[in-house]
Amino acid sequence: MTYRNKRIIMNNIIMTLSTISAFIGLGFLFWILGVLVFNGIEALNLAIFINEGAPPGYEQSGLKHALVGQLLIVLYATAIGVPLGVMAGTYLSEYGQGSKLAETIRDISDIMMSAPSIVIGAFVYAIIVIPMGHFSGYAGAAALAIIMIPIILRTTDDMLQLVPSTLREAAFALGAPKYKVIIQVVYRGAKAGVLTGILLGIARVAGETAPLLFTSFNDNFMNTDMSEAMASLTVTMYNYATSPYEDWQRLGWAAAFILSMFILGLNIIGRLFLLRKRGK
Amino acid sequence: MATIIDVPEEKVLHVNNFEFTYASSETPNIKKLSMPIAKNCVTALIGPSGCGKTTLLRSFNRMHDLYPGNTYEGEVLFEGRNILDAKEDLIQLRTKIGMIFQKPTAFPMSIFDNVAYGLRLQGIKNKSELGDRVEKALKDAAIWNEAKDRLKHDANGLSGGQQQRLCIARAIAVEPEVLLFDEPTSALDPISTQGIEMLVSELKERVSIIIVTHNMQQAARVSDYTGFMYLGELIELGETEELFVTPKEKLTEEYITGKFG
Ligand SMILES: Nc1ncnc2c1ncn2[C@@H]1O[C@H](COP(=O)(O)OP(=O)(O)OP(=O)(O)O)[C@@H](O)[C@H]1O
Ligand SMILES: [Mg+2]
Repeated sequence: MTYRNKRIIMNNIIMTLSTISAFIGLGFLFWILGVLVFNGIEALNLAIFINEGAPPGYEQSGLKHALVGQLLIVLYATAIGVPLGVMAGTYLSEYGQGSKLAETIRDISDIMMSAPSIVIGAFVYAIIVIPMGHFSGYAGAAALAIIMIPIILRTTDDMLQLVPSTLREAAFALGAPKYKVIIQVVYRGAKAGVLTGILLGIARVAGETAPLLFTSFNDNFMNTDMSEAMASLTVTMYNYATSPYEDWQRLGWAAAFILSMFILGLNIIGRLFLLRKRGK
Repeated sequence: MATIIDVPEEKVLHVNNFEFTYASSETPNIKKLSMPIAKNCVTALIGPSGCGKTTLLRSFNRMHDLYPGNTYEGEVLFEGRNILDAKEDLIQLRTKIGMIFQKPTAFPMSIFDNVAYGLRLQGIKNKSELGDRVEKALKDAAIWNEAKDRLKHDANGLSGGQQQRLCIARAIAVEPEVLLFDEPTSALDPISTQGIEMLVSELKERVSIIIVTHNMQQAARVSDYTGFMYLGELIELGETEELFVTPKEKLTEEYITGKFG
């Protein structure tokens, strides 16, 4: 066999193998999506959005409590996590050039980003739930915010650093004070990237279950009081899906479907921002 | 030794025994430099790469203060005071001594907002006043005709040459006394370059201009005085024509005849 033939055969083998692997991966993805969409849409109806949780076998059961709880927890987490993350990222990029402190914060934040979310749940359990004496929506929001901060901090830092320093200098050269340079020029230049980071950060925490189990726990009924235990789509999904009751399981599918669409939506919007930015 | 003439005109800036050292540098990057800058004239700075032209230029609006650890020594007199003084109000100074960079630096906002940026910083809020001054600046920077129908559009949609003229409009809108140009045409095509050069010649009626350039023809075309720098020192400052035709210093002659650089 000539060297050339060997090479062609080898090439074909590798290509076939990698193509097959790609299809296996894609196959699983579409399988999951297919099952999710099939079961989710089947379970979906208007009543789900109107009714609260109910005992198994009960006609009028729904997910309103979990939807509202999820939105509230994510909203509060966003309200805490986004300003802190963006401001910390701004500090790293704009004020901490070359400083030891900034480098340390960057490293710690990278470590935090890879910390298992259940550990953060346990931490919040220890510092908020135990002193308060009970689970609460606030504790859930705090746990999600802690997960969100390093993600937003990192993307903000990276995106602000992408803004050319000549742009900052040009603003300074016109007599702008530093905070105006940051707000009016640097933020503007990095807007799409920072927004994408925020959306991806929200999407990331919206799908978290483990840290909520320890913190906001669950509530089968409608509750908008953040200082009490609170339902969320993820925990509800976990409870319903693992229950033996068929109608609960169907609600679990609906919760999974709604959550997935929400997260998918955030991801798509985030990516569109970036694409639009690049297209310019 | 250096040959530095005195200028007959009024001096807008006066550099005396100026030294500058970057934070990371052991020895001064600009050494004991003295020179007058004539008012309402164009002064060109030429010299081989790394000789300190940019460094000197950026000292005049204290740009080096944006990065920690850089040190100034000596005097740069402007309006009767030493602007290197620690008490100097940098924001005030930078509105009086503007700067145009090598690459266009249009802000990510509309054409109008770009030009209005410096004006707004000065607290001008009145819509019609802003409008008038933006229009005037754009006209003075010879970009009004191209920009007038798209003032609300993103400035990044302009060509490189147009963006550079927009930056000039933005800088002159605040009516500075001095404008510093650091190789303003090195990123531009010949036609845009010609446009900027014409603009520089026109602008000197109102502002004093210092321009760094690698292009000796450009220095000869636009400037009244030319300074030749080498290794952080000013070797020769003279009337442009004289410096290029009959340089006094051997180094200057070698540089302008292309023997090194
Ligand atoms: N940020 C900095 N930190 C330390 N040294 C610097 C810095 N910037 C420039 N230098 C050094 O200072 C000297 C002068 O540099 P400068 O940029 O002023 O030269 P230049 O004449 O403008 O060159 P060019 O024609 O290439 O633009 C060079 O030796 C350079 O290496
Ligand atoms: Mg330079």
